[in-house]
Amino acid sequence: MEFELTEEQMDIKNAAREFAEKEFTSELGRKYDENYEFPWELYRKAAKLGFIGGDLPEEYGGQRLGCIESCLVNEEFNRVDSTCASLLSGVGFAALIPKFGTEEQKKKYIPRICKGEIVCGMALTEPNHGSDAGMVGLDTTAVKDGDEWVINGAKTFITCGAEAEFIMVCCQTDPKAQPPYRGVTMIIVEKGTPGFDTNSLKPKMGWRGAPQAELSFDNVRVPLSNLLGQENRGFHQIMSYFDFSRIPIAAGAVGIAQGAFERALKYSTQREQFFQPIANFQITQWKIAEMATKTETARLLVHKAAWLIENKPDKLRLITRHAAMAKAYAARVAKEVTDEALQIHSGVGYVDSDIERFYRDARINDIIEGTGEIQRYIVAREFYREIGFSI
Amino acid sequence: MTEILVLAEHRRGEFRDVTFEMLTKGRELSQKIDADLTAVLLGHNVKEFAKKLADHAKKVLTVDDARLEDFNAEAYQKVLSHLISERKPLLTLIGHTSFGVDLAPSLATELNVPLATDCINVDFEEKKPIVVRQVYGGKVNVKASLHTSESYIVTLRPATFEVQEVEPLGGEIIEIPSPLKEDIPYKKFVEYYEPPAGEVDITAANILVSVGRGIKDTENMPIVEKLAGALGGALACSRPIVDKGWLPSDRQVGTSGKTVKPKLYLAVGISGAFQHVSGMKNSDLIIAINKDSKAPIFRAADYGVVEDLFKVVPTLTNKILEEKKSSS
Amino acid sequence: MDTIVCVKHVPETAEAEIAVDSSGKGIKTEDLVFDINEWDDYAIEEAVLMKEKLGGSVTVITMGPEDADKTLRKCLAKGADKAIRLTDKAFERSDAYATAKILHKAIKDLPFNLILTGTQASDDGYAQVGVILAELLGIPHATMVKKIESKEEFVRVNRELEGGLEQVMEVKLPAMLAVQTGINEPRYVSIMGIRKAREKELKVLGLGDLGLKEEEVGESGSWITMEEMFIPPVEKEAEILTGGPDEIAAKIVETLKARGLV
Repeated sequence: MEFELTEEQMDIKNAAREFAEKEFTSELGRKYDENYEFPWELYRKAAKLGFIGGDLPEEYGGQRLGCIESCLVNEEFNRVDSTCASLLSGVGFAALIPKFGTEEQKKKYIPRICKGEIVCGMALTEPNHGSDAGMVGLDTTAVKDGDEWVINGAKTFITCGAEAEFIMVCCQTDPKAQPPYRGVTMIIVEKGTPGFDTNSLKPKMGWRGAPQAELSFDNVRVPLSNLLGQENRGFHQIMSYFDFSRIPIAAGAVGIAQGAFERALKYSTQREQFFQPIANFQITQWKIAEMATKTETARLLVHKAAWLIENKPDKLRLITRHAAMAKAYAARVAKEVTDEALQIHSGVGYVDSDIERFYRDARINDIIEGTGEIQRYIVAREFYREIGFSI
Repeated sequence: MTEILVLAEHRRGEFRDVTFEMLTKGRELSQKIDADLTAVLLGHNVKEFAKKLADHAKKVLTVDDARLEDFNAEAYQKVLSHLISERKPLLTLIGHTSFGVDLAPSLATELNVPLATDCINVDFEEKKPIVVRQVYGGKVNVKASLHTSESYIVTLRPATFEVQEVEPLGGEIIEIPSPLKEDIPYKKFVEYYEPPAGEVDITAANILVSVGRGIKDTENMPIVEKLAGALGGALACSRPIVDKGWLPSDRQVGTSGKTVKPKLYLAVGISGAFQHVSGMKNSDLIIAINKDSKAPIFRAADYGVVEDLFKVVPTLTNKILEEKKSSS
Repeated sequence: MDTIVCVKHVPETAEAEIAVDSSGKGIKTEDLVFDINEWDDYAIEEAVLMKEKLGGSVTVITMGPEDADKTLRKCLAKGADKAIRLTDKAFERSDAYATAKILHKAIKDLPFNLILTGTQASDDGYAQVGVILAELLGIPHATMVKKIESKEEFVRVNRELEGGLEQVMEVKLPAMLAVQTGINEPRYVSIMGIRKAREKELKVLGLGDLGLKEEEVGESGSWITMEEMFIPPVEKEAEILTGGPDEIAAKIVETLKARGLV
């Protein structure tokens, strides 16, 4: 059994830490937070160093990083500043292109992403459908008309929806399919296509460096060649990818917890009450111990899930289960640890501090890419399936 | 007779302060071990100049050579290795300055004489020097001994030893013929370069707001500019700010920058390395704002604020502006 | 331009708590983060910039334990071509002189036009190793270098003096230059660099490989011996102003008013 990172992984972790510690500041984080602004400048700097689209293939300018390496970058960035770290949010689904796209699509988009010129988005969630999208069917439709798709409908909570150069839109192409997810197709819609409009969602609790938008499609026409992957296989494509994308998200949650923990640890030695640092009180020590233990536990689960992807790629069920456990648990830990860190800072944490931002930013992790409830459903489903019981 | 040599440091016709600091320390040591104190002056047309040293040493050795006019470690090394080999002084003191750093290690190597650099104290125990040095950026001190030898070289940190007014020694000036035979083949002094003077002379300001690494980003500079503006003072800085190009080098306070002595020195986000502190420690009033309660700047300051500068400085600026408004 | 850069793997102590260890001759390092010496980071950057402009190669060399490979790999990731680590139990407790002798043995038979080091290390702060090494190699040197212009046979350098003044010198090649911080803007390590670094050579040499004898290195081969390490006594401590930002600001304004400064 081995609990150590490889030298290369250690170097990547250190490189990510050094970049974040020197480039991310509380002031920048605060600015992006206040303005609902995607951190473009940090994004471009990070891209130059290979941190953007690190998991994309080398022939298109990516670094073909493994899942563990992506996790390390995500954790380190979030540890330093959870708002600045949202620079990673504009490429979360870019890997769908090399995975399912045509050669032409790969050449067109991936190099520009790796250079930090553009960001992209993926649109599944709709005003009426989120977690149930696959079971109930989507309201956004696409029909073929000659050599074009015609798209109608609306999407919402789409990360970087307004910033994205293109969106991979999940559309119902076969309304009669049973179950409905067998009739979902992914179609690429570029920014500026007539009939495609975006509206930024404000106010928003946190994670404002990753602005979210609602999208509307009013007879939007795109060429048939904008099909991503296979017709009517869109839902399957997304679901198979979630197993991979959820793990770095979980790592980001671990990073937020770690960052909040470190700040609380330090603050507890500086803040004096009753003529002594609050670190002297058992209640504080107990909190610190719990925060550290939870964070480390979440990290181990995340690393195990990432390790499975790298080392047991054919054990798909095991990966699905671990990815869901890691995501659910890390998201919970991020919520709990930022909450406790805020409590340790109390008034000082509640106003104008990193901690209140971390607290708000942490919350999204239990919602995006499958809510905590869905993750737990997946975990339970997998275990029941193992003993032959269908839920 | 045992001898202690002190290498006088001068530039463009002026002695550097470290010269007299070393002579003060040298005199103390020479009395302790009953040694002769000898100043060494290398330069060109320095006869008159040498007289100033005669008050501080028993002997003043001068070597006059055009090739010694401006400091050149190669030429200096040739002359000094000749002098030290001949005279075998027990100790040679050199300043731990830009000159000393360039000269002492190669000189010691050529002579195979033990060297201790950047010392904040030197003493003798049984004719063997014991030095105190600072390590880890001044957070830890080291007491060290030099390996037994006929002769030793020690470089002293500038602005560490106070110059004392003492009875003039009326030292004898001895001219030594230049031992430089041929040209200096490897190194050539070309010129002095002085960065163009900026609009602000920080040495003339009564009030200085000085900013350091804690400001984190060039975009945050207006925070301290506003404070300086409110106080009617000038903006100065520590080394990292100049290294990053956020302020011109003529705003830098410290050994490699300017020495200042304002009525108020407000250090914002400066940790207080000795290089910085030696350039501002004689200010009338020093107030330091730094997040790290262990920052050495709090050992130089009269008042300290252990807090995030981004919280304190804007509030302070507003308070000062209010105060000025209400009093006018 | 073939350049050799001497670097050191040092603990980051600027913002860390420091305590003397039980031997009384070192500090407790368990909780400290080690990284490339700040000055050396500028030296490696300068070497890589020169290589990018003029061609040639960059070899990075250090003396230290296995953990120092982290610093070497960092240099390789930033663009150095080869790395050498000198390590031996006998090298422990080497001062600047002994260290320079060890480096000298490793470097003397390598081809180079230029050796770069940082002016000093942030841990022991000797500011000696590069200059002693130059003397042992019989080549000229310049320290506290803030600017390097490369000519055919020589380099023109600006040496930092005091008060913002610089001294322009011409130094014949091959030469050793010890650079000062601020000479350039050190780059970050990139993922691409880390990937490439894995293919590059990292050689480890010991006492025997260098043809050194034990008495030539370590404490016996040094000029100075550490007797004792101690935390300096506090001579003066500022009066700390406490309270919220408003209270603190008010206290400062009162102090300034009392002295007629506002």
